[in-house]
Amino acid sequence: MPGLALLDHRLLIVTGKGGVGKSTIAAALALLAARRGRRVLVCELNAQERVAPLLGAPLAGFETRQALPNLFTVNVTPRDAMREYGIMTLRFKSIYDAVFENRVVRYFLRAIPSLSELVMLGKVLYEVRVQEHGRPRWDLVILDAPATGHAVQLLRVPGALMDTVPPGPLRRDAEWMHALLVDPGTTSLSIVTLPEEMPVNEAIELDAAVRGLLGIARGALFVNAMPEARFSAEETSRLSDLAAGGAPLGPAALAARLQAIRAEQAGRYLARARAALDLPTVLVPLLAREQWDLGAVEAVAAAIAGSGEAGGERAEVEALSPRLERL
Amino acid sequence: MGELADRLRGKRIAVCVGPGGVGKTTLAAAIGLGRALAGGKVLVCTIDPARRLANALGLETLGNVEAHVPEHRLAEAGLRARGQLFAMMLDAKRTWDDLVARHAPDRARRERIYRNRLYQQLSSALAGSQEYMAMEKLYELATERDYDLIVLDTPPTAHALDFLDAPDRILDLLGNDTARTLLAPAVSAGRVGLRLFQLGGTYVARTMARFTGAEVLQDLADFMASFQGMYDGFKERAAAVRSLLAEPQVGFVLTSSASPRSVDEVLFFHERLLAEGMPIAGVVANRVTPQLWGTGPLPDAADLEAALAAHGAPDGSFAARLARTLSEHEQLARVDAREVARLFEESSGAHVALPRLETDVHDLASLARLAEAL
Repeated sequence: MPGLALLDHRLLIVTGKGGVGKSTIAAALALLAARRGRRVLVCELNAQERVAPLLGAPLAGFETRQALPNLFTVNVTPRDAMREYGIMTLRFKSIYDAVFENRVVRYFLRAIPSLSELVMLGKVLYEVRVQEHGRPRWDLVILDAPATGHAVQLLRVPGALMDTVPPGPLRRDAEWMHALLVDPGTTSLSIVTLPEEMPVNEAIELDAAVRGLLGIARGALFVNAMPEARFSAEETSRLSDLAAGGAPLGPAALAARLQAIRAEQAGRYLARARAALDLPTVLVPLLAREQWDLGAVEAVAAAIAGSGEAGGERAEVEALSPRLERL
Repeated sequence: MGELADRLRGKRIAVCVGPGGVGKTTLAAAIGLGRALAGGKVLVCTIDPARRLANALGLETLGNVEAHVPEHRLAEAGLRARGQLFAMMLDAKRTWDDLVARHAPDRARRERIYRNRLYQQLSSALAGSQEYMAMEKLYELATERDYDLIVLDTPPTAHALDFLDAPDRILDLLGNDTARTLLAPAVSAGRVGLRLFQLGGTYVARTMARFTGAEVLQDLADFMASFQGMYDGFKERAAAVRSLLAEPQVGFVLTSSASPRSVDEVLFFHERLLAEGMPIAGVVANRVTPQLWGTGPLPDAADLEAALAAHGAPDGSFAARLARTLSEHEQLARVDAREVARLFEESSGAHVALPRLETDVHDLASLARLAEAL
């Protein structure tokens, strides 16, 4: 059950190429966990907020805000994260304001490379480990991370700082953050892709970076907008002839031919992704929808929940087949 | 040749911008190939770490240098170029190093900057660094080479504005008046190891050190000191890049998919380019689902089964799947048409809608067909 098993982690990182539907997958995972009674926080980083609107909720901004029962969202911005981190480090708001609102200091802080990534990531990881009334504030934190290149840049910051920054407060923070990220019991990173050439290429490269450079445990590969194999090869070969005819059969056959070609190509890219990546795959079907709203997220969530069962069945069938052959 | 190619005909620089995943790199390559086929010395410059252009052009390695796309590759695709096509992939780190070498007064200073840990992070990992270097490289290519057209494919920025703002933001880090005033005494005294406490008030400095560690500040001060005297050169160059982008020889090509989110982003960027006085050549809506059914109600399964029976092959299950497929297709097409209409109504320049093709564009022959459509 690759889809649902992910929800047992404390931090899920969702990334992939731009435009593949990361926020939708992040929102669907959050919905699944929240409906199973877990308290969930979805973090976006300095983004035009996508998750709250998808769930039909108002924008959160930097203040954690409830979107649905058990489901909260937040948009972490560098400036607010810096301020929160500064106050936490210095313990007193008055000192922070006196020092950090000083324009010379602000200038120097901005000039330290990666500091804004560090504090934004720090805010997310703080939410993972913070306790309230003797238990974690959140059962699950989902990070709707930036696209591939920026995500790798962001997630490698703690490790990179451990290599470059001398011992001191920054280094100590980088160390605990890094430890949390690479703990497989806590953190799991999933890649979202489309069954198309470039997104699959990028997913494969990203996976290599996750294993090598980042060392974060890998969760699943979400293949989004997967067209179903709806027509048999024999039917597909008939479609070209039918498509040449007039309405109503012509246009219907043309649409079917496009669907069949797309499904066939998607199948090939899916096979390529499966061959290159030893990751459980979760297929999210291509949905024809007028609006991307809560209804769409629910459909995606249902597909993710269902994928577990389908995957399980397939695994069982594969296990049975040698015995059948012997019979 | 279409309207967009017309608008780009008099241009020396085409800058392709848009959100990630809309086929920007492919379009950049198609624009470049189209001009090279028509006769012209063309360079396509991409910044993409996934090497998409390399795939599209069949180039095995793309470095920070320009590589000629060999004639025989074009010939294999059935193409004859009257001009020449070159391609390159930007290496941000190398471009930074070149830029430092260009401005450093001597070898010692250059090496000192290369060794600085903050410089190493800045040049390879700092957000916006790629965008800045893309602009820098474009300027170098435009002023020092004799291409008839340079097509720049921009990085898939998290925020479209990074592209325009990154140079200023990063330059601001390299030296502003505050920093220069603070650093001036140390630099004029020829001191390298700058004392923390010269940074402006011991209380502030000590508190900052609690936040970052003293050595980080020391590194930073050293970095700032190394850049003294070079800052003006950097600044002038960035200003030159910006004014270059506003010249009539430049044409921005905005690319969007038909998704509402992509259209929003592109319209936002369009507004910004207009405000900055930068010339817009056109807007491309890519991978649009074509409408196949005219007006009137869609056929249901029974209609299609009857039509199949007329072909002598009635098949209820097949007919039902055909009906569902057509209805889903038309729904996607309707949503796409609505978004493309919004994109075109609210933007200027040439408008090109490209239908979703049956196959991906990843070879020269299909790039050439795409160029035709532009």
